[in-house]
Amino acid sequence: MDEVKIGVFICNCGDTISKSVDLLDIRARLEKLADVALVSIGHDLCSPQAQQAIRKDIIDNGINRVVIAACSPQLYGDALANLVEKAGLNRHLLSVANIREQCSWVHPDKDKATKKAMVQIRMAVDKVRLQDVVEQAEVEVYKDVLVIGGGIVGMEVAIELSNLNLRTTLIEKEANLGGRLKQFAALYPLQVTPEEMLTSRLKQVTGSENIDVLTSAGLKDLSGEVGNFTAKIRKGNKEISRNFGAIILATGYETLFLDKVYGFELGNNIITQSQLEGMLKSPGEIKKIPQSVGFVFDICDEHSRISTLSTLRNALVIKERFGSEVYVLCRNLQVDGAGLEKLYQDVRNKGVIFFKFERFPKILRENGKINIQVEDLSMAREQVMLSCNLLVVEEKVVPHQDFATLESMLNIGLGPRDFYQEDNVHLYPTSSTKSGIFFAGNCHQDLDLGRALTDASNAASEAYQLISSGKMRVEVERVVVDPDKCALCLTCLRFCPHDAIRIDYEKKAAHILDLACQGCGICAAVCPAKAIKFKDWSDDQILAELEVV
Amino acid sequence: MNKSVLVLGGGIAGVASSLRLAVNGFKVYLVEREPTIGGAALFFCCKATEACNQCSVCLVPEKIAEIKAQPQISLLTNSQVAEISGQVGDFSVRLIQRPRFVDPEKCTACGVCAELCPSQPNKAIYLPSPQALPYAYAIDKNNCLHFNGVECNICSQECPFGAIDFDRSPEKIELSVDAIIIATGFDVFNAKEKGCLGYGRYTNVLTGLDLEMKFSTQGSITLPSSGKAPQNVAFIQCVGSRDVHIGNGYCSQICCKYAMRFAKLLQYQHPETKITIFYMDLQTAGKGFGEFYQQCKETIRFVRGIPVEISEISPDELEVKYEDFIEGKVAKEIFDLVILSVGITPRKDSSNIARILGINLGEWGFFDTQDHLDSTETNVEGIFVAGTCHGPKDIPESIAHGAQAASKVIQTLAARGI
Repeated sequence: MDEVKIGVFICNCGDTISKSVDLLDIRARLEKLADVALVSIGHDLCSPQAQQAIRKDIIDNGINRVVIAACSPQLYGDALANLVEKAGLNRHLLSVANIREQCSWVHPDKDKATKKAMVQIRMAVDKVRLQDVVEQAEVEVYKDVLVIGGGIVGMEVAIELSNLNLRTTLIEKEANLGGRLKQFAALYPLQVTPEEMLTSRLKQVTGSENIDVLTSAGLKDLSGEVGNFTAKIRKGNKEISRNFGAIILATGYETLFLDKVYGFELGNNIITQSQLEGMLKSPGEIKKIPQSVGFVFDICDEHSRISTLSTLRNALVIKERFGSEVYVLCRNLQVDGAGLEKLYQDVRNKGVIFFKFERFPKILRENGKINIQVEDLSMAREQVMLSCNLLVVEEKVVPHQDFATLESMLNIGLGPRDFYQEDNVHLYPTSSTKSGIFFAGNCHQDLDLGRALTDASNAASEAYQLISSGKMRVEVERVVVDPDKCALCLTCLRFCPHDAIRIDYEKKAAHILDLACQGCGICAAVCPAKAIKFKDWSDDQILAELEVV
Repeated sequence: MNKSVLVLGGGIAGVASSLRLAVNGFKVYLVEREPTIGGAALFFCCKATEACNQCSVCLVPEKIAEIKAQPQISLLTNSQVAEISGQVGDFSVRLIQRPRFVDPEKCTACGVCAELCPSQPNKAIYLPSPQALPYAYAIDKNNCLHFNGVECNICSQECPFGAIDFDRSPEKIELSVDAIIIATGFDVFNAKEKGCLGYGRYTNVLTGLDLEMKFSTQGSITLPSSGKAPQNVAFIQCVGSRDVHIGNGYCSQICCKYAMRFAKLLQYQHPETKITIFYMDLQTAGKGFGEFYQQCKETIRFVRGIPVEISEISPDELEVKYEDFIEGKVAKEIFDLVILSVGITPRKDSSNIARILGINLGEWGFFDTQDHLDSTETNVEGIFVAGTCHGPKDIPESIAHGAQAASKVIQTLAARGI
């Protein structure tokens, strides 16, 4: 290795830092340190002139490691790394000491502040001395996307990707596309009917050259990493193998009637929302128009938007089609979606009566009728007895049966209620923990249709952003495994949240996939043999920093 | 030449749109009327207790930091749109940029100016936020002695970087862009419109927005009347939301969540504080929020029904009158602090912007989209909406909607071969 020559550039931020930090003293002491070739104090390092001068200093003095002591790296960290790169050095050969926000601004005592600034800068010097170069490279990736699930969300994802000129394979386990859209009786508060929406989306999907639809198909196996996934797809007896750059899961949800929670079984005029939707879809099945219909929800799942939505929709359909008496019993209406409060008001104005209960209503079957005893909160807790010909009960929204298989096949995480778990619910709402795999729609969140379509659009554009250029920039070997030390205990493999570690059978050691690695450092921390080195924060660097303190 | 897009509004939705466009190679002009981007949520507070309660406020500085790393985005702060003509692929935009009087290129936010500024009680030269972007000071003309007949030049003389220049006048900026995203945000409901709740008249009646400001600047809350810690607090939900009588027939979608998070935060700081939340329907949907609500129920009292009247008995005693459904009568209860959970309303100037751009307003005054879903296309091709200017949304949903609008811009321009 060449001789280490560290250049330290200190910013005075317009003579404000020197008010509480003795920069001249610091310079004198820094100059005595080993490997420090240059110490310079600038007026304002963020100005273009100063950056020009730093670049010249680096080149003229043959500096090969840079320390900048200035404001928070949050402010100019990226610009400084670019500067170092422009001076012909690797951008990782830079360490920033924040002597403004973390020192001069918060410590008025000049002696103590100077002492602390010195420690901060020395930590940076000792860290950068041990810093390894991390090169960047471009990797070719497939510009194809696999979309799993052919419901409205999956179709929307495929359409948007097709509009963005990416090729998509859309696989659906049933014989037809459409998913739940096929069973809905109405899409209020939307003015379009489910049939209209389905027809228009089907037209777009089938009319697009970029979309290849495989129905009655399922994923059988997946290998590879982001940009270069290989999927084995089963369609009938055939097995198709294709390569994809990214995968989007839009597998939706299932509903389940929980008789244990309700304390009664279905049948005898007690039906579920799905059964009601089936009846409303094929009017022939309704032999006798029910004079009065009750809806009840919030008993097995209080926090779902889906029960409120389907109840409001179906109550309105029944009211408009049959003119029946309609009662709705619930705890809370989830109206926090576009147009839902308006829909609720409309449904009320049509004559549907709402009861909000605190305690579960009593449901009794008598002579073919269903009697519901509920406390009416708007009338001083009087017990009201409602009599219905038909009672529609909610179902719990649960993950798909396929979730567990897909989860283990794709190696992604499930959340607390067994829906897919995002990498960060709020920051990256559509990203899975594994780079290149995204979620869209109700397979990971409880969404109304509007939100689900927004989610679909987001997942599509995340995938587009990732692979549309056909190339991905990657930092090569930022984290490395020493094969001599690795005992293949697989601790790292189990801890990696991003499924970025494989076994290299030739070297008999763990191997880190550069594209999939997100640089969290967990593997380096947990490795019992200390075989894994995270180049930006190696053990040696951290110990060297601690030595100074 | 690069395709270019005007994003009107630098709140979290506009920021999300700009990022998605810039990453995909678009030139973005991000126009903001205030001196910093970040919008309303920049001034909100973190609501974490011993655990993160997922209020998402921390996403704002996160996203602002991402903007900084995008050379493709030109920030135009202190600016407003005056005129727009043309069509998709060829819009001409005229902006007016009010002077900041501080050159953000030169200013390093060292703070010398504000230290010396003699203006009282508020400094006339200020950093809009610790997370501001541009990270530079700005002068408030109304407060500044120089602009109010006093010969004060202290800041401009003492600035180590010569960044301050009083002799600046508003500038016209002409731009030509392929598409436009409107992300102008919302106004908080003015609680004074609900006179019977006493906001503005009674010292200890505050709004959710007041709480955000107090927590973000002071880190805690005390009774405005006495400075003591609150003992018995009431939150009143749906103030200005779900109320057709005042023209807001929609749910604001954020208030149940922020009220519960604030309630938890208050009790975290003062475990003895009693809290009651008066509500119509609790909006508890959303990943992880149902579980959070179950935790809240252990220490917070939830009462169904929205109080109709508050009267002040003494500055520390507010009598809240509400319907007690259990007893079947009107009940009165004394609290020392009442928080009105105010909601989202359309911006006052949205009709003006709608007129300039030729786009439609929906029933409640938000910008309308083609199919009334959470879509982003307006009636004018090439003009899209993002975030709360289209209807109530929380922070993550605004970000998602912003990114959706950006994606639609990319698709529309691709389809037209622009």
